[in-house]
Amino acid sequence: MVTGSQKGIRSVLFWAGLAAAVAYCLGPFVWQFITSLKPAAELTMLPPVLPTRPVLENYQSVFAARPFLRIILNSLVVASGTTFFSLAIGSLAAFALARLPLRGRHIFLAFVLSVSMFPPIATVSPLYIVIRFLGLRDTLTALVITYTTFSLPLTIWILTNFFREVPREIYLAALLDGCTPFQIFYKIFLPLAAPGLSATAILVFIFSWNEFLFALTFTSTAASRTIPVAIALFPGVHEVPWGEIAAASVVVTVPVVVLVFVFQRRIVEGLTMGAMKG
Amino acid sequence: MLEATKSCIKTAFLSTLPCLLLFIFLFSFITPCASQDRPARETTIVFKHGKIAGDQRAFRAIIEEFERRNPGIRVRDEVLPSSTDEQHQFYVINLEGRSSDFDVISMDVIWVQEFARAGWLRRLDHVFPPRERELFFRGPVDAVTFEGGVYAVPWYIDAGLLYYRKDLLERYGFSPPDTWAELVRIAKEITARETGLYGFVWQGKQYEGLVCNAMEYMWSNGGGLMADGRLDALREENVRALAFMHDLIHEYRVSPELVTTATEETTRHIFGNGRALFMRNWPYAWNIFEREGSAVKGKVGVKTLPSFGGGPGASTLGGWQLGVSRYSKHPAEAERFVRFLTSYSVQKELALTVGYKPTRKALYLDPELRKAQPFIAGLRRVFETARPRPLTPFYMMMTQVLQPELSSVISGLKTPEEALRSIQRHAGRILEAGEPGRGR
Amino acid sequence: MNHRGARSGYLFVLPAAAVLAFVTIYPLCHVFWLSLHRRLLIFDIHRFVALDNYRFLLTDDRFLRSLWNTVYFTATSVTLELAIGLGLALLLNRTFRYRGAVRAAILIPWAIPTVVSARMWEWMYNTDFGILNHLLGVKVNWLGSPFWAMNAAVFMDVWKTTPFVALLLTAGLQVIPRELYQAASIDGAGPWLVFRRITLPLLRPMILVVLLFRTIDAFRVFDAVYVLTGGGPANTTETLSVYAYKVLFQTLQFGYGSTISIVVFACVAAISVFYVRLFRRS
Repeated sequence: MVTGSQKGIRSVLFWAGLAAAVAYCLGPFVWQFITSLKPAAELTMLPPVLPTRPVLENYQSVFAARPFLRIILNSLVVASGTTFFSLAIGSLAAFALARLPLRGRHIFLAFVLSVSMFPPIATVSPLYIVIRFLGLRDTLTALVITYTTFSLPLTIWILTNFFREVPREIYLAALLDGCTPFQIFYKIFLPLAAPGLSATAILVFIFSWNEFLFALTFTSTAASRTIPVAIALFPGVHEVPWGEIAAASVVVTVPVVVLVFVFQRRIVEGLTMGAMKG
Repeated sequence: MLEATKSCIKTAFLSTLPCLLLFIFLFSFITPCASQDRPARETTIVFKHGKIAGDQRAFRAIIEEFERRNPGIRVRDEVLPSSTDEQHQFYVINLEGRSSDFDVISMDVIWVQEFARAGWLRRLDHVFPPRERELFFRGPVDAVTFEGGVYAVPWYIDAGLLYYRKDLLERYGFSPPDTWAELVRIAKEITARETGLYGFVWQGKQYEGLVCNAMEYMWSNGGGLMADGRLDALREENVRALAFMHDLIHEYRVSPELVTTATEETTRHIFGNGRALFMRNWPYAWNIFEREGSAVKGKVGVKTLPSFGGGPGASTLGGWQLGVSRYSKHPAEAERFVRFLTSYSVQKELALTVGYKPTRKALYLDPELRKAQPFIAGLRRVFETARPRPLTPFYMMMTQVLQPELSSVISGLKTPEEALRSIQRHAGRILEAGEPGRGR
Repeated sequence: MNHRGARSGYLFVLPAAAVLAFVTIYPLCHVFWLSLHRRLLIFDIHRFVALDNYRFLLTDDRFLRSLWNTVYFTATSVTLELAIGLGLALLLNRTFRYRGAVRAAILIPWAIPTVVSARMWEWMYNTDFGILNHLLGVKVNWLGSPFWAMNAAVFMDVWKTTPFVALLLTAGLQVIPRELYQAASIDGAGPWLVFRRITLPLLRPMILVVLLFRTIDAFRVFDAVYVLTGGGPANTTETLSVYAYKVLFQTLQFGYGSTISIVVFACVAAISVFYVRLFRRS
């Protein structure tokens, strides 16, 4: 019943909606990018919207004054470690909660959720004591442990959902074939929940990439400093070098997004395809 | 065949990805950490401070100088974000947790009494004896004195200033204002004839800067929050001072509404773009205005803040002080480092290299400094008269009452009387509770 | 067989339970324990007061106001995020060229560190040199008026976290079997009917997760408000977390600050129970 013109209108609407969405999400970031190219004198001049003479000095000073590459590497390590442990531990638990006969699963899910309900500002002090007690102050491990803990609730809840989508029959059939629960989990459920895994991985990665409060409290030297804390160290007593901060935020955001892009394309779609056909 | 390949790829991805992540994680432990194996007799003290402005090498050189003069002591300086809230939070968490991870700490002028009262600081009377105190400005010395002892040594100083556009005042035949009324009159006249120019910008966001601004109006009207060591907020002088702040925006309209959300940097940018005639700010803005490429280079003048007539204007005292943590394991070395950093020569070096304003009075007469940094040398009078915010260990609690009340006055949500009455009631309760034996 | 499943079940849950318990039990208990104390370091006060702090909440105007601010913030931001995020997810679920790129691009707001993005918005909201007023051709004092300030914070939060919602809902849409849609289109069902009868019901578990985590986060909002307005003007944007932060770290009232945190916890827990019930019943 759909006529050609209706189809045309719909497609126009679709593209218009998409353009609006992209503009909405990207607009402020594009502005940030423009800001990062402005010379200091034009930072707060409007007009002109575009810099009269784009400069790269903000980017140069981001790397010149501090070991910024080291800091990016620290963040990369923390975010990767957190993503790995969070997914490894979380998916295992989620699989058990979704498909294995467990008593008290609702209580466990509630407990898991409750961990993320406290304001971090209240837990940071006692947690600092724990970290010091473990002798982990100023180490990346402290951050990985903390972030893993606080991203587990999200991981477990999302993945439990995804594992529940997988029909129970598949589980039972595999069990009859003599697979162990772990084999079922690893060989069958994990690939089938690929969209959930990738979404979770992205969220957890970005969460640990951006976390500030715990990083500020647990780290003290460049050896374990992460990006948000490093950026918070840009301003002087009063002066805020906004151009440099803008440049730094572009520098740290673009790689993440590129990573996500590659990750989604190569892995997720490969996995889903494989899972659907296989 | 195809199926098999697909599942192969599938497994490959499944296993490589976690391995990759794990590899990156483990890789971190291979990268060399700062080597800690130094001769056993060496002591390392840790100095915590906000980022040093300008070139980092200048400060590094000063630390190396100390290490050279004190063999056996190493100094590790660990930088904290400049945001004072974040620094305060960091110290609270660490000192409350009795951390001995650092020895020397730098403190905002409003924290020393609080930290001293909390028992987090070593008493430094022997480091900073009365004879020595005479050589420093009065304001910061008062700020580090608590119950008869000193708990920190003033490191560098800050105070509120009035910036004005020399060129515009000259063009219209005005001289810089001495009273607030003059400032309003000049601002009105000039902004009426210059398009796109604000009269007077200052800091009115709900934060500590607003308190600094408001105190200056109250003091310059002969008011203030404390009188004879007691809270006396609800005074006619204060009411009129706050009413004036409100009127600057809503009645005389010489201050744009945006000042109710402005911080130092907001106003510095507006003034620096040549869009404001007057600005209240700290001395730091001067160097930025005089940089190459600045729109107001050579057009800016500074003077002490105006008053309401009769008395002199008043500036709020800012700046940073060095103390030694109670939990420090190397107090003697830490004290030596504090003495070194606040010495004549180091203060001079910091003034010359990064523009920190010395707390020692004599430096303002130092010929070399006067020649190299005439602006700093000219600030002596301002620093001599700069007044500290209420000196009490409960100041941080008080300011939590002051900030929203002052914000409500300049936003027109409360009258000055209402706000001051509320300040008197709430802050009064805090101060009463602080008296011995009266804890609620 | 079932027995074996159960045993490995507990084994599978064990690592997660251990990590969570190990890291969080002490801090959580500590906060709760503190909330029963009057602990004022600089007054030399540290004593057990049972529920006194909780009783004091009821007479603390500042607390009641920040509670209301938090509720307003949470309700508006979560509603908007869910609506916009769902719209985005539906758009992204269609196949089109550059879909991967668009999906990645949409994540950008979420990927910018919060400390930076809050500042970035503070600059964009600036009355004088902010891009927002420049583009709109107005001179609104966004962060200075009690009405706009709160909504400005909400708007920033919506912008920042819509990608979170969109990403999760897209993932949820991906696992809805395509056969269902094919069957529906053979039956001649219109898009609205398909959305109501197939998409929405099958997406419900995911919507619950999104709703839970967004609400939990919005209710604990700190950076967005603290950097933008500091709670001002005149505390009209002060949320519970901001208030708790000031009480804990600025005024060092560890007992009362913990009490406020426990209230945040209790509120979020109550809302979560409500959500779960709501989704289970219908």
